[in-house]
Amino acid sequence: MPVKEVIELLKKGKVYAKRTKFKEALAYFEKALTLDPKYPESWYLRASVFTDTGRYREAIADCDRAIALDQNYSDAWTKKSVVLYNLERYEEGLLASTRASSLNGNDATAWYIKGVCLDELDRSDEAQVAYGKSLELEIILDMEAEKKRMHRQQ
Amino acid sequence: MKTDMPLSKPIRRFLQHTEKTLDTEISLLRQPDADPGGTLVDQYTYDIDRNVIIFPAQYVGLLKDFVIAKHCTHLMMKGAAAKKGKFLVCSYNEESMYKGMRQIYLDALKDEAKKENKLPVQKLIQMLFILFSHFNDDLNELPWNAIINASVYHRMPKIRKTQLYHVMKESKNDMDEMLEQESIVPRRYFVLSKAMFYARDMFLAKTLPADELMPVINIPQMKKFNHLEVKEMLTTRWTHTAWYQSKVFGDNMLSIIEKPLGPVKWTDPPTLDYYYDLYKVGVLVTDNLISYMTMRDWFLWEEPKHLLEAHEHKQENERKALKRIFGDLISDAWGDKV
Repeated sequence: MPVKEVIELLKKGKVYAKRTKFKEALAYFEKALTLDPKYPESWYLRASVFTDTGRYREAIADCDRAIALDQNYSDAWTKKSVVLYNLERYEEGLLASTRASSLNGNDATAWYIKGVCLDELDRSDEAQVAYGKSLELEIILDMEAEKKRMHRQQ
Repeated sequence: MKTDMPLSKPIRRFLQHTEKTLDTEISLLRQPDADPGGTLVDQYTYDIDRNVIIFPAQYVGLLKDFVIAKHCTHLMMKGAAAKKGKFLVCSYNEESMYKGMRQIYLDALKDEAKKENKLPVQKLIQMLFILFSHFNDDLNELPWNAIINASVYHRMPKIRKTQLYHVMKESKNDMDEMLEQESIVPRRYFVLSKAMFYARDMFLAKTLPADELMPVINIPQMKKFNHLEVKEMLTTRWTHTAWYQSKVFGDNMLSIIEKPLGPVKWTDPPTLDYYYDLYKVGVLVTDNLISYMTMRDWFLWEEPKHLLEAHEHKQENERKALKRIFGDLISDAWGDKV
């Protein structure tokens, strides 16, 4: 279990990351890693900042650290697949996204990355299946978002 | 292209093709509160040096891709018009605004005479510009929406199911528009507004042929549409609405939309000339719709800057128009507190 302080640091870092204040976010995540380097979410969150700032190799390294600490950490697999796709390493991206989607079948991004990687590998039919699953999940998310929006407007 | 977002192959290619053809740059921006249909902020409309396509943060896959395809197609038409001739939009000025608002007022008076519950004068006055502006917005959006959807459908078969979902959703939202104001809005304008959307939907229903809803059909809310064709789905909705009389006008508007769009070869090479021709078709459809709705003197074709300025001065021009319509019955301070 991470110390309470780590959770607080990650929370603060996430707020900064959401506002695209990556430098500040990174500082919080790094502080959290110093306090508890065995907490996978800290590695994952730092990987997210690295991804958003185009530091792909560092992002992959952090995803791997998170996965090493928790093999079933689906979000870390998804993040890794996104980065691998961006690096045009489609075979590896496909493996990572397949692992992510089998760990969490409701992860629209994982299915989508699987689709785009398959598409790049000219495996069009399989890509369509993955796209289909991703779309299905996205529509559910969209309908929920729409409901919330309507609720806010009333 | 400024993005590290994963994109499906046809979308990435289309983005690159657009940037190359228009010699421009397109950025993609994910925003939590973005409009569900996305937004295009482009250099041909605003005084900026690049183009941005904004879409909702929850769109991570094909929904995002469709929004990008849609706005990219629009950007191509705008850019082609700007490069080959002049990119113009449906705008208005003080005089045309007066004419439009006056016409709405006269029609509203006819309706009010028949009503038991009269509309408070203040509300009636406020409605004039709102309705005028509403038609201006719709005329700047609706014909292009039909063209864009037809183009995306033919050029990107891989995202057709996504498109179908968008079209259905958009259609529902457009149908719900004005619903709360049905008793306030003069009948003629309520019907015309609905008829425009009806015509757009029917055109799309004809253009987007039978495409089964798999995998969308796995979603419980969509199950009722099982085995229905798009056309059936859209007509079922319209015939079950309270505004069936919109159908009469809508059918006429449908032929107005169909006539210029019929000869378009949707899969011809996507050159600048091709998109310029599409733009000209859009202008023609808009013109014909304006004529059909007898709004000829309400709007003018002007550069986007003109429309932005018209929006900026709308309050001042609205006041002037009201002064001309109502004379001294309107105080000089009208609208200050609205």
